[in-house]
Amino acid sequence: MTNLRGLGELSRAYLLQARRSKTAIFWALGFPQVWLFAFAFIFGPLTPGGVSYLMPGLFALTTMAGAFFGVSYLMVNERENEVLRRYRLTPVSPVTVVLANGVRSMATVTASLMLQWLLAWLFFDITINGPVLSIILVLLIGALAFVSLGLILGCVAKDMRTAPALANLIFFPMMFLSGAAIPFFLLPPWIQGIARMLPATYLIEALQGVMVRGESLVEVAGPIMVLLVTAVVAAAFNSLVFRWESSEPINFKRLVVAIGGLAVLYLAAALLAPAMRMGESPAQEPASAPVERSRLTQQMAQEEGQVGRSFGQAAHEPGVPARSVAHIDP
Amino acid sequence: MIIETKSLRRVYGSTVALNGVDLCIEAGGIIGLLGPNGAGKTTLVEILEGLRMPSSGEVSVLGLDPARQGRALKERIGAQLQSTTIPIDLTPFEVLRLYASFYERSLPVDRVLQIVNLKAKANKLTRTLSGGQKQRLAIGMALIHEPELLIFDEPTSGLDPAARRQLHEILLDLKGQGRTILLTTHYIEEAEKLCDRVVMIRSGEVVADGSPFELVGRAGGKSTIWIDVEGDMDPAPLLVGGAEDQGRQGNHYKFTTADPAATIVALGEVLHTQGVSLTDLRMRRPTLEDVYLELMGDPEEDEGVPA
Repeated sequence: MTNLRGLGELSRAYLLQARRSKTAIFWALGFPQVWLFAFAFIFGPLTPGGVSYLMPGLFALTTMAGAFFGVSYLMVNERENEVLRRYRLTPVSPVTVVLANGVRSMATVTASLMLQWLLAWLFFDITINGPVLSIILVLLIGALAFVSLGLILGCVAKDMRTAPALANLIFFPMMFLSGAAIPFFLLPPWIQGIARMLPATYLIEALQGVMVRGESLVEVAGPIMVLLVTAVVAAAFNSLVFRWESSEPINFKRLVVAIGGLAVLYLAAALLAPAMRMGESPAQEPASAPVERSRLTQQMAQEEGQVGRSFGQAAHEPGVPARSVAHIDP
Repeated sequence: MIIETKSLRRVYGSTVALNGVDLCIEAGGIIGLLGPNGAGKTTLVEILEGLRMPSSGEVSVLGLDPARQGRALKERIGAQLQSTTIPIDLTPFEVLRLYASFYERSLPVDRVLQIVNLKAKANKLTRTLSGGQKQRLAIGMALIHEPELLIFDEPTSGLDPAARRQLHEILLDLKGQGRTILLTTHYIEEAEKLCDRVVMIRSGEVVADGSPFELVGRAGGKSTIWIDVEGDMDPAPLLVGGAEDQGRQGNHYKFTTADPAATIVALGEVLHTQGVSLTDLRMRRPTLEDVYLELMGDPEEDEGVPA
C-alpha cells in the first residue's frame, strides 16, 4: 500500500517546506507561545502551583492548535491548490500522503511543545514532578492522537473558508470544556461529564499525572490508552474520508462511520475511564487518593530540600520564590 | 492501439461534456486535441488519465482501463495538468526527486533537468521560476518515469512566444525519441506546427480528425492571391482559370481561387499578352485556422449543449 521511498521523500519534502515557510514557522512555533505568556501573567498568580500547574493545559492547547489549525490547513491548502490532484496522477497512495502529512505535523507540533517547555523553564522557572522522558512520551502520544484527528479534519474540510470554521468549532469547545483553559476542578459536574468525552481531557489528565502529581506512566495508563486508541483509530478513519480533490464529494456514509466511530470511542472512554484526578482541587485535601497524596508530599519534601527534580533550578532567580505544588501543602 | 474510446459520454448535471467520442490513436507522434474552451478536451484527457469517470462508453489506454487499472497505468503514462500544480517552497531538483520516488523506476533527476532545460534553475525555489520555466518543470514531472504515453493539457497556455517556442522544441525532441504525446491546445498554429494528427472537438463531439494537411485539403478552402502590376490589367483570363475577383486592396488586385496553380499559369499569360510587368505577387493558402473557424461556428455555443 505504501511505497516507503515515496513516504520518505514526501515527508522530507514536507519538512523542507515547513522549514522554509515563514508563515508556517510563525503560526506553528510562535503563536502557541503567546498563550504561554498570556496564561502565565493572567492565571499564573491566581493558580495554586503557578505556571507549573498551568503547563499541562498549555501543552494540550499547543497540541490541539497545531493539529486542528496547522495540520488541517496544510492538507486543505494542498488539495485546494491541486497539488494533491497532481499527486493523484502518480502511483503514490493516499496512505503515503496522509502519513507524510502526519510526519510533518508531528515534527512541527513537537517542536512547538519543546519550545514552549524551554520558554516556560527560562521565564517562569517551572517545576516538574516527574521524569522528563515520561513527560516527553506522554506529549508524543498526545501529539500523535491529535495529529490523527487533525488529519481527519484536513480530509473533511471542503476549502480554506470552511477549514477555519470547522477547526474553531472543534477547538474552542475542547479548550473550555476539557480543563485546558479553565482548571478542571472549577467546572460544574455536568460539564466535567462532557469533558470526559473529549480527547483533550485525557491528554491533560495524563500530563498532570506525570508533570504535577508525580505519577508513573502506569498510573496514567488509562488516559494514555484513550490517546493511543485515538491515534490508531483516527489514523485508520483517514483512509475512509481521504479526498484528492476539493471537487470530490464527501462520502457521507463513510463520514458517519468515522464520526460515529469516534463518538462511540469517547462515550466508552467516558464510561470506562477512572475518575479524573485533576477533578480534585489542588487547594483541598483529596479524599480519594491518600496513597498518592503521601507520595506527593514526600516528593515535595524532597524538593524543599533542594534535591528534587526542579527543571528550572539553573534559572532560579534569587528574588522570586519557587512556585511549585508546595503551596498546596496544608 | 495506444488509446481507444468507444461512444464515450460524460455528463455533468444537465451539461453534456462528451457526447459519444470514438477515438483510436496509435503509438508515435504528436496528436493534437483542438477545440474552444468548454468543448470537452480536458474532460476527455482526464478520463484517459483516470482522474474522471466516464458516464458511459468504453476507454482503453495502453490496453488498460483507467478507472480499474489505474495503479498499473500510472506507471506508464505521464501527464501535466492544465493548472500547473507545483509544490511551493521546493526547488526543481527537489520536486523532481520527490516525483521520482513515487515510481518503480525513474530517470536520474539531472537527466530530466537537462531535457527540460532547467539545469540553471535546479536549486532555485519554484516560486522564483517564470511561467515558461514552471511549465517546463511540469513537463519534467511528467517525464521522470519514462512513460510510454505523455498527456499535456494546454502546456503553452499563457506563455510568451519565446517560452512557447522553447516548449515546442522540447515536445519535438520528445517526439523524435519515439514518444507518443497527446496535446490539447487552442493555438491552431501550434497544432499545425507540431501535430502529426489533429482531432477537433466541438461540444463534446469529434468534428474533424486527420493530419493538418489532410484537414485543410478536405475542407476545400480557397487560396487568396494578391497581384500588383505596372499599368492596367484586364483580369478576365484569370477568371476563366477559376479565380474570383475580390476587387482591389490598396494597389493590389485580390483574387480567391480553389486552384492556385491554374491561376498562376493564367497570370503568366496575362502578363505576356497584355504587356504589363509584375511588381508583386503574394499568396495565402487556406490554413488549419480557416478549417477550425468553419467547423467551430458560433463561439457562443461553446458552453456545451443541454442534455
